[in-house]
Amino acid sequence: MKRIGVDVGGTFTDLIYVDDQKGTVLVHKTPSTPADPSIATVDGIRTLCEMAKIKPSELDQVFHGTTVATNIVIEHNGANVGMITTKGYRDIIHIARHKKPMNFSLWQNLPWQAYPIARRRNRLTVNERILADGSVQIPLDEREVRAQVRKLKKANVDSVAVCLLFSFKNPKHERMVAKIVREEFPQAYLSVSSEVIPQYREYERFSTVALNAFVGPKVSAYVKRFDSELRKMGVKTGIHLMTSAAGVATPEASVDKPVNLLMSGPIAGVVGGIWAGAIAGEPNVITLDVGGTSADIGLAQSGKLRMKHLLDTKVGPYQAMIPMVDVDTIGAGGGSIAYIDSGGIFRVGPRSAGAMPGPAAYGQGGTEPTATDAIVALGWLRPELFLGGKKDLRVDLAKKAIDAKIAKPLKLSTQEAALGIYKVLVHSMVDAIEQSSVRKGFDPREFALIAEGGGGPLFSSAIAPEVGVKHVLVPNYPGITAALGLLTTDMVYEYTQTSYVMCSALSASPKERATLEKQFAVLEAQALKQFAKDKIDKKRVKIEWIVDARYEGQGYELRVDAKKGKVTEAWIRSVKEAFHDIHEREFSRRFEEADVQFANIRVRAIGQMPGLKPKTIKKGTATPPKGALKLTADAWFEKNGKPAKFSTRFYERTELLAGNRIAGPAIITQFDSTSVVPPGYSAEVDRHGNLIIKYSAAVAKAAQSGH
Amino acid sequence: MADLPDVGINPGKPTRKRVKVDPITLRVLGGAFDAIAQEMAGVLFRMSYSSIIRESEDLGAGLFDADGRELCESESTPMHIGSLPWYIRGFLHRIDKSTLKEGDVIIHNHPYLGASHTPDIAVAVPILWQGEVLGFAAVTAHVLDVGGSYPGINADAFDMYAESKIYNGLKWYEEGVLNEDLDRMVFDNVRTETMNRGDMEAMKAACILGRDRFYRLLEKYGADTCMSAAYDWMDYSEKRLRDEIKKLPDGEYVAPTAWLDDDGRNRDVRLRVETKIIVKGDHVTIDLTGSNAEVPTGYNVPFEGSLLVAAYFAIRTILLDQDRLDEPVPQNDGIFRCVDVIAPKGTIFNPNFPRACFSRFNQCQRVVDNTIVALSKVVPDLVTAGNSAAIHFCSYAGFIPEKGEYWLYLEVNEGSYGGRKGRDGMDSVDCLMANTRNNPIEELDMRFPMRTERYELRDEPAAPGQWRGGVGIVRVNRFLEPGAYSCEGDRHTDPPRGIFGGYDGLPAMVRHHQGKSHTEIPAKVTGLMCDAGDAIELIEPNGGGYGNPLKRDPKLVREDVLDDFTTVELAREAYGVVIDPKTLEVDLAKTKRLRAQLQKKRGRSFQGELLSLVKLPHRMAVSPHTGKAVAAKR
Repeated sequence: MKRIGVDVGGTFTDLIYVDDQKGTVLVHKTPSTPADPSIATVDGIRTLCEMAKIKPSELDQVFHGTTVATNIVIEHNGANVGMITTKGYRDIIHIARHKKPMNFSLWQNLPWQAYPIARRRNRLTVNERILADGSVQIPLDEREVRAQVRKLKKANVDSVAVCLLFSFKNPKHERMVAKIVREEFPQAYLSVSSEVIPQYREYERFSTVALNAFVGPKVSAYVKRFDSELRKMGVKTGIHLMTSAAGVATPEASVDKPVNLLMSGPIAGVVGGIWAGAIAGEPNVITLDVGGTSADIGLAQSGKLRMKHLLDTKVGPYQAMIPMVDVDTIGAGGGSIAYIDSGGIFRVGPRSAGAMPGPAAYGQGGTEPTATDAIVALGWLRPELFLGGKKDLRVDLAKKAIDAKIAKPLKLSTQEAALGIYKVLVHSMVDAIEQSSVRKGFDPREFALIAEGGGGPLFSSAIAPEVGVKHVLVPNYPGITAALGLLTTDMVYEYTQTSYVMCSALSASPKERATLEKQFAVLEAQALKQFAKDKIDKKRVKIEWIVDARYEGQGYELRVDAKKGKVTEAWIRSVKEAFHDIHEREFSRRFEEADVQFANIRVRAIGQMPGLKPKTIKKGTATPPKGALKLTADAWFEKNGKPAKFSTRFYERTELLAGNRIAGPAIITQFDSTSVVPPGYSAEVDRHGNLIIKYSAAVAKAAQSGH
Repeated sequence: MADLPDVGINPGKPTRKRVKVDPITLRVLGGAFDAIAQEMAGVLFRMSYSSIIRESEDLGAGLFDADGRELCESESTPMHIGSLPWYIRGFLHRIDKSTLKEGDVIIHNHPYLGASHTPDIAVAVPILWQGEVLGFAAVTAHVLDVGGSYPGINADAFDMYAESKIYNGLKWYEEGVLNEDLDRMVFDNVRTETMNRGDMEAMKAACILGRDRFYRLLEKYGADTCMSAAYDWMDYSEKRLRDEIKKLPDGEYVAPTAWLDDDGRNRDVRLRVETKIIVKGDHVTIDLTGSNAEVPTGYNVPFEGSLLVAAYFAIRTILLDQDRLDEPVPQNDGIFRCVDVIAPKGTIFNPNFPRACFSRFNQCQRVVDNTIVALSKVVPDLVTAGNSAAIHFCSYAGFIPEKGEYWLYLEVNEGSYGGRKGRDGMDSVDCLMANTRNNPIEELDMRFPMRTERYELRDEPAAPGQWRGGVGIVRVNRFLEPGAYSCEGDRHTDPPRGIFGGYDGLPAMVRHHQGKSHTEIPAKVTGLMCDAGDAIELIEPNGGGYGNPLKRDPKLVREDVLDDFTTVELAREAYGVVIDPKTLEVDLAKTKRLRAQLQKKRGRSFQGELLSLVKLPHRMAVSPHTGKAVAAKR
């Protein structure tokens, strides 16, 4: 198969081409076109096809990760949204959870009020009420609905969100409203809560459905435009889009529920990291993708992604109750600025020098020292090797900025200050990684750290012994791991339904068990219908059951994998046991005697894709080929807590062969990234070209003792 | 017990050995302390049982030194932030520090020995390192019921003994072994045993987690470096706050007298709150002299655990506003060193033992609001107009015979903020020291024999101003089975103040609906029996306006009309903006003329009251300016 993965980032659009039969892998990087991202992507695909000497019509797949939906939310330039909601609840998305983002601030704004997704004037109510048991207390008045829909039409809204209370129990009223919207206002983009997300918690559901309506029209337009451009070029397969749940969806499914594309961006990086780990025999990975302004952190045990807790599934300040892969983003990157605050504390980031002026070393007018400047001052980035020598790197300006802003005020040498900047940034990444690993009950000693992005390989060797991971793995193309991740993805749809039931009640009542089985069957049928629409062979579809469970009386559920099959006493017992385990890992406590309650059930349906076969590289000996060593020069590394000068070898990554071993101190450069092998570390190239960086016992001991 | 020690003495600067910590390690440890506190709170609210902890995050968690100095505290509800030091100093009067052992778990809630109030139980574990008590990992959280006279909330209690069971520095676990008799005593004497037990298990788990995380830091960096870094960070926060205080001109700034509705028993007798802010150099004193004498009900304020916390909160929020800072200034002992409070013994802000003091939130909120209004003269850019500065903290309860336990739901009803220079007031949000999460209606309706029938912005418009005040909510909760309603609330008579020409906002109101009729009920109610079908309707205050409404951009006034934050009539009367009721377009020429006329008529010292412009069937609204009842327009 001939396939392309396209990952659109803020600065660059990364593309990768793979021919499974021939074993060809080509990568391409082009500046993003934020005004219409499809320009860069379509151009990039054309270029890649030329590079591969194929016609676009020969392509079998184009997989796409996009930040289009996310950007609409963050820039707040989505559709004009109208909402039809239950009388008495006009302001659910205005009140939100009535909690301020900040404790100590009179000046803060509440983003959901200052920048509403649906303005108050366009939130209209209808007199109706469904009760908690699904029965109708106040029947819907169709005439009133019709009048309200006409008002929205007159107000020129682009889309209509239908958000009625308890519609997850009984969707009858929402369906009636939807029918009337279709009759009266067919051109409006329609988003119905019981279809988008039939799950309890009205604020979270309404907010999700409003977001869906907010991004819907633009995302549809983008997806359709992109798809038709590709078809014009001759690409027959169209595109598949990455969703927040780490699967791909067809353009049609994406247009139906564009809210699932929110957070499409950072997830591909985690998926790519899992793949890179898998081919190197590492099923447990922590991924660290460091860019210019931020770092994305993910974790997967046994190759399995973790999903976010309900309270954390936000897009910007808005709540989106959709399944979202647990990726943590922190404001630490190569452009992070170091400074001393007014109380005398040494800080690095989250402010970034961005693309302009960028680090001082880029000579574009920047005078504030950044992490990149620190790395230049330590001698790890050298002008003659930087971006293949294509871009000027000013060591003098980097040192000048560090001296003026950090070294002099703190009475440190340039290298001490530079190492300080590096270490502060490393620690904020260590903290964030610990937050999603050790502190969630995962033992880091069982994990490999996958270094991705331009900056990941610069920081990972210092992070590894602090976190206590086995070793660092730098994939072949660290800068393009996300695009590669796309090609390893399956098609995934997740369907959910609120279903309140106690395990004790399930055990006691065959009727309850039958109801639960039926509910799972309904969700499965929805999934199969979607795959039939996508023309995916049934044989390639895998169905997984998931239960959101909690102890009776608790308020937050945890996701528990359940075996698909008959709901028997053994089934109930195994789900309970799995829940106790997860609860214990999250909170260090289990309550065996307590009853377990199910809140939601989910079906995760996976349409298996062919995957990506790893290719091997040429085998060499333990000693790298002569030509790979580009130069030997002095660089500074930490020794007993202080910077010390070491004679350091600089290698070119692409010239290394499988089996090569490199002892630190060494720097391995490649076009878009630089890997650091400090003293006490060693690097080895595996048969697929991955770089495995290990640290010695002495380094581990020093890290644990604080030096 | 009559001879209670005075815990309200600040231990002063730390005396433990200090070493120099390099700037990088200092930065790293600062991040680690903060992460530990957040993580403790995260475990507590995510695994706890009652909605008051898990949804409302009515909790605090942190690390403290051996004298109770705060190293770090979680970002949860501000009312808790800064109370734990006083709990620790309180229970150290009962427990000899030198006898503490690894595995001890202490519980404490004595309001005259540092507790914030009795239902906020603290759980603490000692941090022992090489034979030294280095400090404590501690949390406090609001548990549903503490065995007082009435379920949940006891605003009208005879004395401290009637409002709650008292835990005065008791060891729930000793060296890791459960004290079984104490455990039975604690949980046999509350109405919601299962919930309380689940919550206190979560509190213990959070403490142990905090302690163990701190042990890891001690192993890596050593006690001297860790503690010195902690003290350096306290000095840092102190310096940041003192630098801001220094910018204020020395002087005494007085807030207008504020009135609390009543004490929960003696109706129509309002309680006086006098607030004077004394700025001298880099120090602030909040002087409440002249405020009301203590009351015979539970409407008194524990001095250390609650009032001091309010004072710290007010000063740091105004002067170190998180949204205006480039970097976070951690909340720790350093903040507390810059602020003192004077409250004469025997007043509602410093009651005599054994007065009940269950319900103290509203009084604290008013001290904060008064401080903001008082300082508006010196820092007009940093303040808001008067805020709702109240809560209705309600309990809905009933007995479940099959379980032999009560169902009990606690609800914190939000308020709204006053306008600010350049921004309108925030609507429908927890105000000032409250910062809880509401409960999903779809969860409540499924869980309790209750039904929420309305939850949205109240019908009346926002208080006019160049920057309008925020709008409060209206909420209707109906009992589906017989039950008891209790509430501690306030602000039914004295509306939030407008400043710099902005209008005063609107007071709150509560109604008891029975069948087709309803009666207005006071803010503080203890054990009101309700029949199945009865409903409680809560209407929360609208914040005050900021600045002259005649200066508000007519475009913004039109937007307010479109969004029902104001009306066409009010646009004309209060803002001087003429809007065509049919086209809803602004007539700029007419607006200009009308504004000139109104400005002339009003003069410079005009102070508008929204209450006189809206239809509100209100019992006893009182003008804060004249002290007289305002005739509400009907």
